[in-house]
Amino acid sequence: MRKLKVAVYKFSSCDGCQLQFLNLEDELLQLSDLIEFALFYEARRFVGSGPYDVAFVEGSISTPHEVELIKKVREESKVLVAIGACATSGGIQALRNWADAEEYKRYVYPRPEWVEVLRYAEPPSKYVKVDYEIRGCPVSKDQLLSFVLQLLKGKTPPTLPVDSVCVECKRRGNVCVLVAKGIPCLGPVTMGGCGALCPSYGRGCYGCYGPMIDPKPDALNARFKELNIKPKEIQLLFKQFTNWSKEFRKVVEEYE
Amino acid sequence: MWVSLTGLYVGRVDSLRVLFDELRRSGYFVVGYRVVDGVLRLGELSSFDELAQGVEDVQGPGRYSLISGSFYRHGPDSPKKFLYPPYLTLFKVSSGWDVVVPVREVRRLAFFGLKPCDLASIKVLDRVLLGVDDYYESLRKNMVLIVENCTTPGNTCFCSTMNTGPRARDSFDLAYTRLGDKLVLEAGSVLGLKLLNVLEVEPIDDATYERFEATMRNASEKARAGFELNGLPEELELRIESKVYEKVTEKCLGCANCNMVCPTCFCFDVLDVPLIDGSAERVRVWDGCLNFTYGQVAGGHFRPDLWARYRHFVLHKFAYWVKQFGTFGCVGCGRCITWCPTGIDLRETVRSVLRGGKSG
Repeated sequence: MRKLKVAVYKFSSCDGCQLQFLNLEDELLQLSDLIEFALFYEARRFVGSGPYDVAFVEGSISTPHEVELIKKVREESKVLVAIGACATSGGIQALRNWADAEEYKRYVYPRPEWVEVLRYAEPPSKYVKVDYEIRGCPVSKDQLLSFVLQLLKGKTPPTLPVDSVCVECKRRGNVCVLVAKGIPCLGPVTMGGCGALCPSYGRGCYGCYGPMIDPKPDALNARFKELNIKPKEIQLLFKQFTNWSKEFRKVVEEYE
Repeated sequence: MWVSLTGLYVGRVDSLRVLFDELRRSGYFVVGYRVVDGVLRLGELSSFDELAQGVEDVQGPGRYSLISGSFYRHGPDSPKKFLYPPYLTLFKVSSGWDVVVPVREVRRLAFFGLKPCDLASIKVLDRVLLGVDDYYESLRKNMVLIVENCTTPGNTCFCSTMNTGPRARDSFDLAYTRLGDKLVLEAGSVLGLKLLNVLEVEPIDDATYERFEATMRNASEKARAGFELNGLPEELELRIESKVYEKVTEKCLGCANCNMVCPTCFCFDVLDVPLIDGSAERVRVWDGCLNFTYGQVAGGHFRPDLWARYRHFVLHKFAYWVKQFGTFGCVGCGRCITWCPTGIDLRETVRSVLRGGKSG
């Protein structure tokens, strides 16, 4: 079987998602028999030229240079997969979309005019066609592996869960932290795939997978109000890792 | 169907420990409620002392807590967790394409202190799964049911309306009722009779009998939903166009918690899980009609709108189930009310639909 030729790219991001490939410690050797990491700066110096079968793209597009680069990645990749909260919704750095980045530049950099940034940090899908999304901050290594194995088996399209975190939480046998503890939890509006990681440790879900399919954040927002959760706290819940997703943004805007 | 074999006997509450030990000695895995992190959970118990005691669950729409008390109902788990587990590997396929069906050890389960609503849920699942699901059937045929009649139904309970409680009438091995220090017992099977013989009991006296009847009557009054079953499927189907569903769904999250905690929701999804060594597993997982993907099929979607998914949930429990399986799908345990993150009250939905006209 011919190896799948893979490229792993990084845009505005923290490297945490591509690192999940390397975190597949038990499977990595077997995986490298099945796929060739032709381009993976974090893992190897060797760079194989395109075209690639699959490009995994981490990070949001936040500079004019990145706009050009993502177009190039699209051209040289048969399948483009956005991985992680940044590449699927803008991520944590999209918080600057709510503020004035020009002002930040003046505070941070001695020569702000050298720093070229776009007005908004946004996911690659804003600029190019993205074939698949793998959510999370960071992505789950198990989901990455499952996705790759499905591709290799020829399953079209590879599928990952898209319903709520609650479904996974209940299947896992967790007690609802919202109902039993009154802990604000974004699980009912957030896409599953993490295996309900945070509620499994008694914490509320903070929505790093972003909105699930057909989410109802307004209804959850209304419930949080009924439970007398402070407006600022509600806003901060939605204004986290996937704050720039269309559905969560609407709730954040209500409290701006 | 089993019925009471013995009539009522009276013993002491501490004979429950004897009963528990007898089940363990007979080789049963005893499953009962214990307190885990402030919530009643159904789990396997190795000693009677692990059984929850001195607590009461306070349930309301969208909320659950434990306080100290002398009687409890239930938590989020139902017998479904054991009889129809959330993940079940159906078979494995090796890298050489051999299909390997897992050989399962038959476990003899004894449910201890289940409430009548949960007993009823097993009766409902029997109609759906017996003869269909080998895993369910193997557990079901080797199972003991010790039921505790419900002297104090909770705020989200409506077993009286659903005719499933607060007193269990059949299909148990042994049913007991706590009346202070006294225990009123009744066997519903030959096995139950054998268990009863292990305990120190005597035929019930008039005073205790009257107290038992009065307790059950009071409990029954408390567990009503404000609608009647007579003609309910027809009345609901007549009002299928009711706008109530859309109105109620404004609060709905589509998270499917109701499906997951429902003791009779049996819908599943089948996942093929590829593994790195080239093998794969086919796994059955809990699914539910509130999930968007549930009604999604090649070429379209049966219920893309959330209100239609919620309506399906309600009508399946109260109308379609009757046609499919000859019983209601709802047992009145109230879990879907308690564990709904926004506290949508199924009883209120049904009442509102009935109050309105054909499209009201």
